[in-house]
Amino acid sequence: MVATTNIPIVSRDRFAKARALHVILAVILLMSAAVSLETGATEVRLSTLVCKAVAGTPFSQIETVVMLDIRLPRLMMGILVGAALAVSGAAMQGLFRNPLADPGIVGVGAGAGLGAIIAIVLGGFLPAALQSLAGRHLIPIAAFLGGWGSTLLLYRVSTRQGRTSVATMLLAGIALGALAGALSGVLVYIADDQQLRDLTFWGLGSLAGASWTKVTAAAPLIALSVGLAFMLGRGLNGLALGEATAGHIGLNVERLKSLTILSVAGATGAAVAVSGGIGFIGIVVPHLLRLASGPDHRTLLINAALLGASLLVLADVISRTIIAPAELPIGIVTAVMGAPVFLWILLKRRGMVDL
Amino acid sequence: MTLIADNIRVTYGARTALNGVDLRAEAGELTAIVGPNGSGKSTILGAITATLPYTGRVTLNGCDIQQQKPWQLAAQRAVLPQASQLAFPFTVIEVVRLGLQAGSGATDDSIPMRALSRVGLSHYAERTFQELSGGEAQRVMLARVLAQIWKPVEDGQTRWLLLDEPVSSLDIAHQLQVMELAREFAEQGGGVIAVMHDLNLTAMYAQKIAVLSRGECLASGSPREVLTDGVLSCAYGCTLRVSAPVPANVPYILPHAASA
Amino acid sequence: MTPLRDNFALFATMLSLCLGLAFAVSVNRLHAKAGSEEQADVLSIGGSVTEIVVALGQQHRLKARDTTSVYPEDITALPDVGYMRALSSEGILSVAPGLILSEEGAGPPEALDVIRGADISFVEIPSAVDGDGIAAKIMAVAKALDVPERGETLAAEVRESLAAAEKQAKTASDNAHRVMFVLSAQDGRIVAAGQDTEADAIIRMAGGINAVTDVSGYKQLSDEAIGLASPDVVLMMDRRGNHAISDEALLELPAMRLTPAAKTRSIIRMNGLLLLGFGPRTAEAVTELHRQLYADGS
Repeated sequence: MVATTNIPIVSRDRFAKARALHVILAVILLMSAAVSLETGATEVRLSTLVCKAVAGTPFSQIETVVMLDIRLPRLMMGILVGAALAVSGAAMQGLFRNPLADPGIVGVGAGAGLGAIIAIVLGGFLPAALQSLAGRHLIPIAAFLGGWGSTLLLYRVSTRQGRTSVATMLLAGIALGALAGALSGVLVYIADDQQLRDLTFWGLGSLAGASWTKVTAAAPLIALSVGLAFMLGRGLNGLALGEATAGHIGLNVERLKSLTILSVAGATGAAVAVSGGIGFIGIVVPHLLRLASGPDHRTLLINAALLGASLLVLADVISRTIIAPAELPIGIVTAVMGAPVFLWILLKRRGMVDL
Repeated sequence: MTLIADNIRVTYGARTALNGVDLRAEAGELTAIVGPNGSGKSTILGAITATLPYTGRVTLNGCDIQQQKPWQLAAQRAVLPQASQLAFPFTVIEVVRLGLQAGSGATDDSIPMRALSRVGLSHYAERTFQELSGGEAQRVMLARVLAQIWKPVEDGQTRWLLLDEPVSSLDIAHQLQVMELAREFAEQGGGVIAVMHDLNLTAMYAQKIAVLSRGECLASGSPREVLTDGVLSCAYGCTLRVSAPVPANVPYILPHAASA
Repeated sequence: MTPLRDNFALFATMLSLCLGLAFAVSVNRLHAKAGSEEQADVLSIGGSVTEIVVALGQQHRLKARDTTSVYPEDITALPDVGYMRALSSEGILSVAPGLILSEEGAGPPEALDVIRGADISFVEIPSAVDGDGIAAKIMAVAKALDVPERGETLAAEVRESLAAAEKQAKTASDNAHRVMFVLSAQDGRIVAAGQDTEADAIIRMAGGINAVTDVSGYKQLSDEAIGLASPDVVLMMDRRGNHAISDEALLELPAMRLTPAAKTRSIIRMNGLLLLGFGPRTAEAVTELHRQLYADGS
């Protein structure tokens, strides 16, 4: 084509801004991590320990335990879970082309929860060899499979002739959540006392159960899933044009969709498996980032991981210090922070054409 | 270099939308598909863009499109859908850049901006897509399509513009602008297939016309061969009168009131 | 929307987080200053365990407690490490206990793992549903606190008074009442105590019959199952707050309306810890429940 002369040069403003945000958010995450290691119910402080390390003074036993067995695994789990939830939220929103889609809202969390409950209550019926093989990973594995299964089911139900209906997806998600809740109720009914106790411990929606065992179980799955999501940025951008057009610009749409589902199910399943249900991170984080630097998924997904991790780490600091030595469930903290933002999104969208 | 659709059948459940349609489009020409509502115009475009499942055979530049990967097809043809949708508040220039996905020859960073100025919207580059009017949105989508296959001929291979009602929501000036763009693309060696509603615009710009009716191809050929009282009245089921004044020698079609 | 306002949203969120943090940290500092008494080094988890510690005359050794430890009342001044099933490992370490006495069933397990790893002696006290069990509990606590003689005396006392209370309850009841213990009645769904529960045990001891016979554990009952159970008396915990349901509302539930208990408006409310704790006060609980059950001389 004939080149037109005097084309105004357009700054790649938002993209550059989003790139800069990587650095800012990474610094915020580092600071959050430092705050998390510095504060807690005990008098152990990261700063003191650093001074001691520099001076060559040995640490007391309580310092070692608090730092290495309590705060560090908890920090790692906060980072993993926060990143997983925020990235899953952003990816799910990209897949369904709706900023309100969230693994929690569309029933994936309920599916993962059902998987975990099945493992706790019916795990004893598994062949002994399988039980010993899965060991402590049985519950996370079951939660992952539950989350994945419900995501796939949801996608099947809401997709007709290659078109995914957002309305069907939301309704099916509610139905799926209710179904999973009902099945969970049945299982809770037949559970014995010990299993009920395990269920309570599991479903708290808290990082209180953080341990190196859990961190090492969840880390590979979350890292792989989040890494996979990072590679889907271009594809999810194209998907914003609709599935047909995404195919026309050269995307393998079916593969893109199944990889997104795999990533969301992996990250959410693993996160729910180790920390129970923690809400709002998946919606609020991507939304704030879209406002700040635009909807480009290539940068959005990375920023979501960083901001999600920071927010959850800070929420956890609040949850474990505000009524110390007792703990406030982190789900309450994220809800108090997230619910108003969620409502605000809804109010702002009322005037817009495409919900 | 051709695009050939051979004996295409498409069914939606029990309803047959296309019943064995043949279509042939040549490089360097603008081929228009016309016909009444529900005649299968958009369906045939869906088949040749591999969007809809069909039986029969579609070859693009000599290769069966079923055998090619999405990105191979995307390097050879771009598709403008009838209605544009966009999920998130991307800016106009970001939308046009999405056209560069296919990758081939997309290294030129200036293409999206040049495509945008081709449709006369370069001053809207930083606007949010959702703020645009229907016609402006349609032109932005056209710019995205142009960005995808910027050069009509690349490495000796023809590239194709497949347009589904490209002027349906545009005012008359922009209708002409878009049709000029399409003609220019064809003149430089590219191929254009456009589904059209406006018969007079079609007569002015198309080199070949295929008339569809009830899922079958009623007639195809040059405007002078196809645009006749008989063919059009049969296709649309109403009385139409085709005239061609000598100076322009382009047929024009007038609706003919039954009572007159 | 201008970029400035976009950033403002992000900024506001971060700011509110920081304020929350600052508040949390300052509250935390206040707490840290509060609990420092000499000699006190025991963290007691579980209401009945704490009662036993006090009954053994060792209240001065208590340093902290859990949320379920609310008797005697002055114990509530001690720092609270949270609900016994949702403990925080660092919260526990922050009160720096030398000894942790915990009723069976505290958790989560990960938190306890860390505590055990920190070389703090952790003694789990088995739960009980009868006089021998309570005696064993007392002995376990006494041994852990290094006052075995006091333990033996208290155990014998408790055993004796409980036996007396049970005996009295039995003799007085030739026409035993059917009692249904209602744990909760939220949204009209009634969760009642079946067999093998603390409530079942205390009802038997007080000379009643558990109306719910064919389920075990605390289970939600269908309306018809409640009709079938046909309790003469409903027994509940007297907790206040949003879990509470008024007598009228409870008896008006479709499931309850046809029961004998509704006709005679028989609802007994007792302190949960007293009733179900199975500690030193259980004899008192048996006597009290018996008195309330058969107060009208039937």
